[in-house]
Amino acid sequence: MSQLVRPKRDFTIPVVAFTLITFFLKFFVFKGITFVDSMIFLTFISSLYFLVTFPMNKYVQIALGILVLFVGIPLIGFQNTSSINVVIDIAIYAALALGLNIVVGFAGLLDLGYVAFFAVGAYLWAIFGSGQATELFGWQLPENGFFLIAIVAVLVAALFGVLLGLPVLRLKGDYLAIVTLGLGEVIRVIANNNPAGLTKGSVGIDSIQQPLHTFTNSLGSDGYKWQSVVFYVIVLAVIAVAILVTNRLDQSRIGRAWTAIREDEIAAQAMGIPLVATKLVAFATGASFAGIMGTIFAAKQSFVDPASFDVNQSIGVLAMVVLGGLGSIRGAVVGAAVVTSLNLVVLPTLAIEFNNLRQSGALNLPPQFEVSKYQRLIYGIILIIMMIYRSQGLVPASRKHIEVDDAHAGQGAMQGGD
Amino acid sequence: MLLDVNAARKIFGGLVAVNDVTLQVPEKAIISVIGPNGAGKTTFFNMITGIYQPDGGTINFNGSSIVGLRPDQVVERGIARTFQNIRLFGAMTVLENVMVGRHVRSNTRYIDAIFHTKRFRDDENSSITRGMDLLRFVGLDAKRNELAANLPYGEQRRLEIARALATSPKLILLDEPTAGMNPNETEETKHLIRRLRDEGNITVVLIEHDMRVVMTISDNVTVLDYGTKIAEGLPAAVRSNPKVIEAYLGAGAAAGNFGLEKTEPKSTGGTA
Amino acid sequence: MQLFIETLLSGLALGLVYSVIALGYTMVYGVLELINFAHSEIFMFGGIVGVELLLGVLTKTTWHPLLQLVFALIVGAAASGVLAVTVERVAYRPLRLRGAPRLVPLISAIGMSLFLQDIVRLVESLFGNFNRPFPSYIKGDEPDFFAITHPLVSGATISNTTLTIFVVGAIMLAGLTYFVNYTKTGRAIRAVAQDQSTSSLMGINVNNIITVTFLLGGALGGVAGVLYALKFGTLNPYSGFLPGLKAFTAAVLGGIGSIPGAMLGGVVLGLLEQLAAQYISSSYKDIIAFGLLILILIFRPSGLLGRKVSEKV
Repeated sequence: MSQLVRPKRDFTIPVVAFTLITFFLKFFVFKGITFVDSMIFLTFISSLYFLVTFPMNKYVQIALGILVLFVGIPLIGFQNTSSINVVIDIAIYAALALGLNIVVGFAGLLDLGYVAFFAVGAYLWAIFGSGQATELFGWQLPENGFFLIAIVAVLVAALFGVLLGLPVLRLKGDYLAIVTLGLGEVIRVIANNNPAGLTKGSVGIDSIQQPLHTFTNSLGSDGYKWQSVVFYVIVLAVIAVAILVTNRLDQSRIGRAWTAIREDEIAAQAMGIPLVATKLVAFATGASFAGIMGTIFAAKQSFVDPASFDVNQSIGVLAMVVLGGLGSIRGAVVGAAVVTSLNLVVLPTLAIEFNNLRQSGALNLPPQFEVSKYQRLIYGIILIIMMIYRSQGLVPASRKHIEVDDAHAGQGAMQGGD
Repeated sequence: MLLDVNAARKIFGGLVAVNDVTLQVPEKAIISVIGPNGAGKTTFFNMITGIYQPDGGTINFNGSSIVGLRPDQVVERGIARTFQNIRLFGAMTVLENVMVGRHVRSNTRYIDAIFHTKRFRDDENSSITRGMDLLRFVGLDAKRNELAANLPYGEQRRLEIARALATSPKLILLDEPTAGMNPNETEETKHLIRRLRDEGNITVVLIEHDMRVVMTISDNVTVLDYGTKIAEGLPAAVRSNPKVIEAYLGAGAAAGNFGLEKTEPKSTGGTA
Repeated sequence: MQLFIETLLSGLALGLVYSVIALGYTMVYGVLELINFAHSEIFMFGGIVGVELLLGVLTKTTWHPLLQLVFALIVGAAASGVLAVTVERVAYRPLRLRGAPRLVPLISAIGMSLFLQDIVRLVESLFGNFNRPFPSYIKGDEPDFFAITHPLVSGATISNTTLTIFVVGAIMLAGLTYFVNYTKTGRAIRAVAQDQSTSSLMGINVNNIITVTFLLGGALGGVAGVLYALKFGTLNPYSGFLPGLKAFTAAVLGGIGSIPGAMLGGVVLGLLEQLAAQYISSSYKDIIAFGLLILILIFRPSGLLGRKVSEKV
């Protein structure tokens, strides 16, 4: 059969060239943080997508991938921490999108309160890794206790997923959406009301410790840059695990059960799939991704308050998943990258450009048109346009063909029994 | 008795959809349940499979009660079904659809799936092997990578049977397996049902409107009308039962006894 | 006793506002089985249009405050009704005609909701502060008409604001009940809610009926928006979200799709919320609504007045 298939074009050279050119442009020419500089940086980052999408030489692919991730981005980050911080944020949101994609994309459960689990993780480290713990319990964890809490957060968030999921997962689609939306708000309101002095209410918890801080601090004036690199390596590791886990679950009986439920609940049940248990597993898995990213978020910001976890965050993550393509793993990452860079890079730098133009008198625009104030407007338009014109997303999900070889020759259907 | 339904009853609002219906299915039998539209046949199936809980009566399978079990637990006990209005997982491939049916017969846990343990690989391999066997059995092995939603109608019906068989049932409930099929496909399906019993040792209960199918493959026929069982017996006896003819065609038709002949003009063998 | 009576009256007024908003959710859900997420913004929009009209035009006349309010209600209702129909045309109809899966219009509705919040804010902020106050009617020594109170039993009083909400709310509920039950169009709406394809076979233009449903639901939302501004004194582009969520809760509480259910659910929720705020904790009052929603859905998924429907297998 293979000779009948037209040989795929090899993209090794164009992808390598693209990656190197954008890297050198960014590193040597567009060093700054203006709109154009940032766009060049984003173009460089996009080489990662081309790298995994276009057919190319396997070894070159791996080598180039390692170069971009472990040399290129840190180097640029050292020039400008804001660049590496953008990548960290993209990775945080990508993990959130991957988690929500399991719930909404795979299992078809519309969860609008997803950010609640992010908050659980964030508050877990915020409380145990700051002076807050000393006030409450008289002791606090050392800065590297972060790694322990990150693992614990996976379990705690999963537990929260089960606890919140148990009562609501019996509900049908639309009801589930609105109840999870309400639950997300409940978690935020509770944090805002400072129960038992745990969360410090709307003031928020500050001075949250950062992992390996003593070490990075010892490196002198570049210490804060190394701190960013530490976070960068942590999020890379987490995102790698998240992608691996998502992929493997998707291609197992668990993933097939999720998809079956999404396609037809009644048929899935009649084929032997326990509905509530299977949905709970989806809910808990998605929650655990958000939990661990919450701890990283808290450590990176060094500050946590309830306002970081409002319903817009949930909807923002949903927008990423939908934009990328419901049920698509690659799509979730692409969606997170596009929306996050739009929010954190494109709109703010564009706003600065507009401001400069206005101050120089070249543009006469009222200050109300500050683009960065209108995230929701942009999310809204993205969601509507995607639903009308491309509801399958930028990188649509596709079913992977299962390999069948001679080893799978059976004994005939009716002899096989169990 | 493999399946023993005694005085099963289901009420929706004030309407008695199934009224004290009793049905006994011996092992390796092919039993047909017939009756006019709205007679309660599908509701009867839904009660056996746990989708609805009965409001009265007992349902025993293999000697123990299955009332109160969830649908997935019923599948685990060994009852599989198909649906009147085909309910495949449209966005999944043909092979994946069948592999979903293997869910209750595999033990891969969460951890196994993440770490690709031996248990995962063994389960996955046996699911694929069994799935391909079943696809070959219904003649769909070449289409394993197509999306189920893209199959033509007749093949979707066969895929649904393969998916049900993947759960390794002792009893399979087929809800109008030949609905919408042309005579050729109907003939093939009839053959398939016989092979299920003869080669697979699977007991079959089917809801069917096509009297050619009912009369030729059933060991026994049960007739429902307005939720009540009005007749039961050998196909030939049921066919000439005046109550049955009345149920299908109204009181006037019974006198002439041409009822079933008229609805099924190609019926083999004529009236008994 | 005085406190209790006043809490009840306030809760009833709040509940009536919720009821009128909830009707918009329940009617659209009844006909399309869609949670119209944008309804909270549709309701807010009518309120803002009404308030702007009062601030910009009507307060400059010598008309009686009540007459001014009636004009604001009518214009607010019209604005919301037109917006609701537009939203349906732009964001829902193309998806419906394509037969998209259920998640698709729901996400489109969420998008519409976000879009409307910011677009209203953009337009409002061009003309000043986007927080808009309900006008004050204090004239010299005369107190604000809407703040005038009348004594009731046990020292409790009732304000003109509360009385106005009672009267307008009651008219809306009664009017809608009449319309849906005793007019030809109302019958058509009920028919479409039961079965779209059969309705179209009976000669009902389903698309027109859906438009009418959105128009009516939207207009009710506009009225509620103006009443909400009257009760709480201010509106901004994000004011719709929380009452919208609560009104939806009310609709579910009463049994979604059921018109009397939405009315009852709204009143029950408003009373409970006000009582909880007064006697339990005002900072947790919002949680009470959601806690209630979750309990209801678990123990009585079809709501107080909803009919239980089992899916056809």
